[in-house]
Amino acid sequence: MMEIERYEIRIAGFGGQGVVTIGRILGVAFTVFSGINSVNTQSYGPESRGGACRSEVVLSHAEINYPYVRRADTLIALSAVALDTYLKDVKKGGLLIIDPDAVRVGKNAADQRVVPIPAAAIAHDSGGVKYQNIVVLGALQCLIAEYIEKTALKKAIKATVPPETFDTNVEAFEKGRAHAKAFLNSKPEFRALMDA
Amino acid sequence: MHSETSQNLIAPGIHYLQGAEACAEGAMLAGCRVYAGYPITPATEIMEHFARRLPSMGGRTIQMEDEIASAGVLLGASWAGAKAMTATSSPGFSLMQEVISFGIMTETPMVVVDVQRPGPGQGYISTSQEDVMQARWGHHGEGAIIALSPASVQDMFAMTIRAFNLSERWRTPVLVMAEETVAHMRERLVIPDLDSIEIIDRKTPQDEGIAPQDYLPYGHGPVPPMAIWGQGYDVNHVSLVHHRDGRITGYNAETHFDNIDRIRRKIEDNVADISEVEARFMEDSRHFVICYGAVSRTAVEAVLEARQVHGIPVGYIRLKTLWPFPEARLRELVRDAEKIFVPEMNLGMMKHPITEALRDRCRMVAAVPSLGCLHTPEQILARIQEEAA
Amino acid sequence: MNEIGHPMLKYLKTEGPSGPRLPLILCPGCGAGQVLNYTLHAVDRLLAEDNLNKEDVVFISGVGCSSRLTSHYLQFDSGWTIHGRSLAIATGALLANPKLRIIVFTGDGDAAIGGNHFIHACRRNIDVTIICVNNGLYGMTGGQVAPTTDTGEKTATTPFGNVEDPFDLCKLAETAGAAYVARWSTAHPRQTVKTIIKGIRKKGTAFIEILSQCPVHKKTAPVEMFKALRRLTARVKEGAAVPDGRIAVGEFCNRDKPDWISRYQDIIDQENRHKDTECTGSI
Repeated sequence: MMEIERYEIRIAGFGGQGVVTIGRILGVAFTVFSGINSVNTQSYGPESRGGACRSEVVLSHAEINYPYVRRADTLIALSAVALDTYLKDVKKGGLLIIDPDAVRVGKNAADQRVVPIPAAAIAHDSGGVKYQNIVVLGALQCLIAEYIEKTALKKAIKATVPPETFDTNVEAFEKGRAHAKAFLNSKPEFRALMDA
Repeated sequence: MHSETSQNLIAPGIHYLQGAEACAEGAMLAGCRVYAGYPITPATEIMEHFARRLPSMGGRTIQMEDEIASAGVLLGASWAGAKAMTATSSPGFSLMQEVISFGIMTETPMVVVDVQRPGPGQGYISTSQEDVMQARWGHHGEGAIIALSPASVQDMFAMTIRAFNLSERWRTPVLVMAEETVAHMRERLVIPDLDSIEIIDRKTPQDEGIAPQDYLPYGHGPVPPMAIWGQGYDVNHVSLVHHRDGRITGYNAETHFDNIDRIRRKIEDNVADISEVEARFMEDSRHFVICYGAVSRTAVEAVLEARQVHGIPVGYIRLKTLWPFPEARLRELVRDAEKIFVPEMNLGMMKHPITEALRDRCRMVAAVPSLGCLHTPEQILARIQEEAA
Repeated sequence: MNEIGHPMLKYLKTEGPSGPRLPLILCPGCGAGQVLNYTLHAVDRLLAEDNLNKEDVVFISGVGCSSRLTSHYLQFDSGWTIHGRSLAIATGALLANPKLRIIVFTGDGDAAIGGNHFIHACRRNIDVTIICVNNGLYGMTGGQVAPTTDTGEKTATTPFGNVEDPFDLCKLAETAGAAYVARWSTAHPRQTVKTIIKGIRKKGTAFIEILSQCPVHKKTAPVEMFKALRRLTARVKEGAAVPDGRIAVGEFCNRDKPDWISRYQDIIDQENRHKDTECTGSI
């Protein structure tokens, strides 16, 4: 694995979409199972469901000072409000993962690499819409494979979710991954950008 | 996640924990076996972790009816020989002040964690440093206190252990002034070999060879050895002004002064031993950022950028202990400065003792406030550039 | 050396390096001194008859005339603590060392400010003996109204008469869950000693209210107050009705229920068994 100076991931959506869990699983995958230092933070309102919710992961092989995202390398926006709020903080050429059934991306995202993953719909056929966040994780892994290996993420999922749901989670993960892979294959220019 | 040793303590190695959990694990490693608390955002995770983990070590966690009772539990537990802790947030911290005052006067080892959130009143549930003055002055009356300021999950672990050690060594309540940022973030925690961690226990009269009939509960030195209930010392804990033998009649001004002056000097005279100050980039700096807690993480980023990108000679000083205030150490570090920047998650609190300490050593002290959220590097950098470029 | 030779003097600290501790600061004729006497008699009996270890006996009090009993007089481990908060402190001591035998001195005023802790201590059935000296007012601060003051009574803060009704501390304790609840008065010495013995022996919360005289603030001679206490109280069998205008004394409640420490011990025993466990508690 290459030396990571600082890589920033932000996930945002509504409470109940599993935003916080994505961040948590990523943190475990990086720090426990990949030996990379990572800081995972989240902020949300007091409502358990429905309020705006944001989770962040900053990773580095060095010491991490400022623990939050300054300019996101990757933004996962699971709601329109999330996209509106956080698009401006994404780096030029950064990765933008959205659920096209919930979020419409316009010209303001011209500088980013937009990857639509209909996570809710995919999850609906694999255990239910509450697995949408794991679908997204699968897609993410495919898209930033040089930062995180599949095995590390799977171990992290196993350490996080209730044991009886592990198989369903893996199914959702693989489906998300497959969808992202198919997308990349259909967009050769993305492949090139990602290898750069 | 973490794995445990055969004593059910956390195992040495690399872990990934929330600051709240790291704090609890540090306390348990330090020997804390009694936890009392009351649910309050953003500190509740600490109690929940203790509730799950403490029984496996033979300890007891209890959720009390309010924060006053929670702090009250620490007094009884400590007098009965246990290391005890509670964690709360700002409104609960206000409720605990009478008990803290009592703990100072009775010289009771106890640890109180305040996971600060904005105020006044219900304020908000995000992050803050608005209680840092209350830490020193919130308890009624004289007396001093020790307050630590963690900036990371590793600090939440190590400083909680240090808090227990300090409270045992100096027979005093010790505060860990955390913020929601640090309590809720998850990051790498490195647990060293358990044998390498220093644990300090209070000195008892038995340790000093003092028999019950010769024992003076508030005597035998600046830090009186502490008799434990149930060991035949017939020790009485009082918070009225007292003589060294515990008598509370025969009041006179001299006894009053002796009593109070000793407990204050016990802490304030030992600031060199107790306080910790980190300083970086001091040699060529004309300006300094003085910070503490989670803000330090932003500040160091801003200082690095100011130096490396903009060529501004800024130094970095982090207060790892807020109280007793390290005035002498600051004056040693800063001899002649232009501007001093004090970024705080409040409207300017530690700025005051800093200004008092360095008024004759600098041209200006500027507060860089942020309420309810952690400063971004841009915020601090902008102020530095505005004043110092 | 004291020439009066009171049998309970052996349990008091009479003097120390800095000077004498006696006389007690209590007013002449105050009931709190009697309560101390009865309590020490009870402890004395238990030390002789039971397996009670003197080292394990701890007295805790809050603030007020009754709480002054622990201020510096007792030849026992003790704590003169915060107004109303003794029970929280006692809870902490038990969590640290369940072997301690804790006796809490409180008053009606101290119990009032500590109402929340009083309710929950009884609910938790923590193993303490609470001796509540009830004189119907706040004595130490000059005779103000208390939650146990009779309706209509004139006090320092109700100069035109108390517009509130008092509550019944024994009923509160019983409803909240205390294992043992009783009431006597300073004019019932033998019964009080027997009841305190029973309370200390009882596993769980024992709440013993002792109606007491405050001759200074009630402006009535102690002997008259004694006679009134005997006249106004009526011993009733459990469940029986109290004669009009009288205050019930006796044992109100005596039930067997596990105390907090024993219930929690099951959890400790269960969790302690799992050693070398991989714990994923943080996720």
